[in-house]
Amino acid sequence: MEKAAITLNINGQDFDMLVEPRKLLSDAIREDARLTGTHVGCEHGVCGACTVQIDGRPQRSCLTFAVQAVGKSITTIEAIADGDGGYSALQQALHEEHGLQCGFCTPGIIMTFEAYLKENPDPTNEEIRDVLSGNLCRCTGYQGIVKAVKVAAERMRSGEHQGGRS
Amino acid sequence: MNEDAAPFNVIGKPLPRKEDRRFLTGRGRYLDDIDLPGTIHVCFVRSPYAHARILSIDISEAEQMPGVVAVVTGEQVNQWTAPLRMAPPIDGLQPMEMTTLPVDKVRFQGDPVACVVATDRYLAEDAAELVLVDYEPLDVVADMFEAMKEAAPKVDDALSTNLVSHQTFAHGDTAARMRQAHRVVEAEFRSHRQTHLPMETRGILADWDEGRGHLTLHVGNQAPHPYRSVMAGRMKMKESEVTVIVPDVGGGFGQKIAVYREELTVAALARHLKRPVRWREDRLENLSAASHARENVARTRAAVDANGCLLALELELYEDFGAYSFYPANYLARVIAMILTGPYRVQDYAYDVKIALTNKCGNGPMRAPMAITSWIMEGTMDAIARDLGLDPVDVRRRNILSENDLPYTMATGETLEDINPAEVMEKGLAAFDYEAFRRRQAEDRNSGVYRGVGICNVVESTTYGSKFYKAAGIPGSGHECAWVKVEPSGAVRASAGVMATGQGYETAFSQAVGEGLGIDPANVAIELGNTDVAPYGMGSRGARGGTAGGGTLYLAAQAVRDKALAIAANLMGLNSAERLRLTDGVVQQFANDAWSDTELTLADIARVAYLDPTKLPDGMDPGLETLKAYDPPAMTYSNLVHICEVQVDVQTGEIAIPRYLIVENCGTMLNPTIVKGQQLGATIMGLSGTLFEHIVYDENGQNLTGTLADYLVMSADKAPEIEILDLSTPNQRTPAGLKGMAEGGVMGAIGAVTGAVNDALAPFDVVFDRHPLSPNAIRAKLRSKI
Repeated sequence: MEKAAITLNINGQDFDMLVEPRKLLSDAIREDARLTGTHVGCEHGVCGACTVQIDGRPQRSCLTFAVQAVGKSITTIEAIADGDGGYSALQQALHEEHGLQCGFCTPGIIMTFEAYLKENPDPTNEEIRDVLSGNLCRCTGYQGIVKAVKVAAERMRSGEHQGGRS
Repeated sequence: MNEDAAPFNVIGKPLPRKEDRRFLTGRGRYLDDIDLPGTIHVCFVRSPYAHARILSIDISEAEQMPGVVAVVTGEQVNQWTAPLRMAPPIDGLQPMEMTTLPVDKVRFQGDPVACVVATDRYLAEDAAELVLVDYEPLDVVADMFEAMKEAAPKVDDALSTNLVSHQTFAHGDTAARMRQAHRVVEAEFRSHRQTHLPMETRGILADWDEGRGHLTLHVGNQAPHPYRSVMAGRMKMKESEVTVIVPDVGGGFGQKIAVYREELTVAALARHLKRPVRWREDRLENLSAASHARENVARTRAAVDANGCLLALELELYEDFGAYSFYPANYLARVIAMILTGPYRVQDYAYDVKIALTNKCGNGPMRAPMAITSWIMEGTMDAIARDLGLDPVDVRRRNILSENDLPYTMATGETLEDINPAEVMEKGLAAFDYEAFRRRQAEDRNSGVYRGVGICNVVESTTYGSKFYKAAGIPGSGHECAWVKVEPSGAVRASAGVMATGQGYETAFSQAVGEGLGIDPANVAIELGNTDVAPYGMGSRGARGGTAGGGTLYLAAQAVRDKALAIAANLMGLNSAERLRLTDGVVQQFANDAWSDTELTLADIARVAYLDPTKLPDGMDPGLETLKAYDPPAMTYSNLVHICEVQVDVQTGEIAIPRYLIVENCGTMLNPTIVKGQQLGATIMGLSGTLFEHIVYDENGQNLTGTLADYLVMSADKAPEIEILDLSTPNQRTPAGLKGMAEGGVMGAIGAVTGAVNDALAPFDVVFDRHPLSPNAIRAKLRSKI
């Protein structure tokens, strides 16, 4: 299959790559940009592990072709941090509330909620669980993640901790 | 172990996890993140039939495709590797043998028959479609009871029948008790096929060093040393010629223990092609061809008196084992039979366990291989209560083990000690307010709201010592091994043979070492998963991480501490280290009824130990490190109760879980935060399996659940909030009083939620004895009743 020369903008940096049109964005991010924090769990859009932000919106990178992301701004887990390079409010809360175990699903969850909390600064537990239903976690039973999102939202509202750069 | 009774400095602290930073920032290093130059990729060609003879395999077209490096079948791979013979000397078990890839016939849909190697994964998948396999379909047996019939097609032609294992046991005289009993209550339990579903699928990266003749395998695995031993044997190599390196692992749950045929094929290809070779399993393969579990049917017959006191119990247990034997076929079911009676007093007990081969994916131990034990036992208690018109709590109270009964030797000969089932259940009932619930339940029923409560008492077998294996007739060892090293600078490193798959060992184990040595756990580096670094241990399975892993590290750290203090005493001119201790890396001395800091630190002692050995006590070897092996007691047990409240919508069949309560006794906790994470995760896995997950095969042996849209897993919006109370007591025989835990949650959840649904729907005179408890299943039983 003919390869196409494309440039993807990931985390503010341009990556030139030669990819087949059928190459998944998830594979291009991992293999061509060598950003391996984006994980591939099912390759059919259910598990949510591969979630990245495209122009600020959470999307499944396994359901997107790399060539479709040309000209867009892609953000991955590697760019999430607070202004000083420390944890974002959400990362900090996930750490404190034991919101992760094996860590494989974690980047997808962070990319989902970094975007969600910007538009929904005060979610209820039920709303958090509803959004989180798009990401499967086999280790934690979700309870610590729900608590962490709640805590992060409170801290971001009170100005105690800024949201993640993305 | 008197000193273990003393309060701990760092064991038991809810320290946040050391692992988190790399995982939260996308800097974890999982298998597929490792990049070796020149790596080529494989794709397996798999059988579309559940049972068929392989007539021919035409690889010519696939070989011609640009980018394809090689295409191989069993003909080659089986020359390069040795078969697996599963033939432990176990009564009633038929030996089985399998080649690396099948050459005569395929035994389940998804069986690998050829392997394509190409320069990238996309090309390998393209070429795999060009491999032409000519099959002659054979009769399929996809049901274990059909499989056990005489005329059934044979799954393994070398066996006399599909009944691969049959074991019986009797203690006391159950038949006599049945005759004397007020009632004999019968109950049935059908658990359905499920799979482990780690979020990271299987895979391997094999790297062959032609110059040294050395094979390095990067692979997600829970038991690196046993894995290396098996791999070396099947590669016809020595263990010294194979290194296994396990990176971060995205979950295992028992699926990542055995050497799988795909992994062995990739290792053989790397050696043959002299290039790094990678396999990354996709989700379809993981759901259909990795390993499955839990397809069991159990029947109990309980002899009881008029008060519901248990006089005798008989168990009939069946397991559908699938097509291949990666483990002895009795391995999973036998533990269910051995520990079934768990929290209850009964001496007259008998079991009959039959394991059948079918044309389905082979089984593997899935988090709590004995998961349905507690459902069978508690479901039997509920059946007794229903039959006699008694309250289910009263029936449990009359039979449950309390302090006066312990230690208690079960009918199977296993001894229960340091557990508190009665106390744990009572604490749970009080916290739940059982009496108030019953009143609320009665009131709500009048307005058409159907609530129910399920109670599941669990005795969880956690750490299996070598004595248990010997007694159970299972080959293998229960010991573990660890080393602790203080480097010349005072930096502390430690390792053990167990391997983490997300539990948080680096944090919990640093607390075990920090406690044993007398230093801040922040200064302990835990190095796991590399067989060139880690000592030979039996790896992670069951709930042995805490007691076998943490316990051995604790003992090793204490031994290093003793040496350090002996050096300190010598440096201080003392003739004994009796009045010295290490706290936070500083030597303290006891004088005038108080401990006070000395000038000496662990770093000073380490420098002397390595670089100034003439200052060491006479006869002492230089260096500051210890290798320690530890074999736990035959078995350690934790115990717990799950109390689940459900509300069932009788119109839609939907189950809501408004309240879920756990009380647990899991001994000393290395880190209570990590323990809680295990309790929550295990419980949701149990609920998910009971309510949602289901590997479905049709009668032709076709797997109908090949995506995560078909194989449903509990998502956050369905998962309940769980309350956990603690009633832990230490184990008297283990280092630091550790017991282990992490599987009991699965056991408790299955029984508790099923009991709750049956309680809620009791007015309709229905009993659910099979899973999953899907809305369709609920409605199917209620349809004629409403």
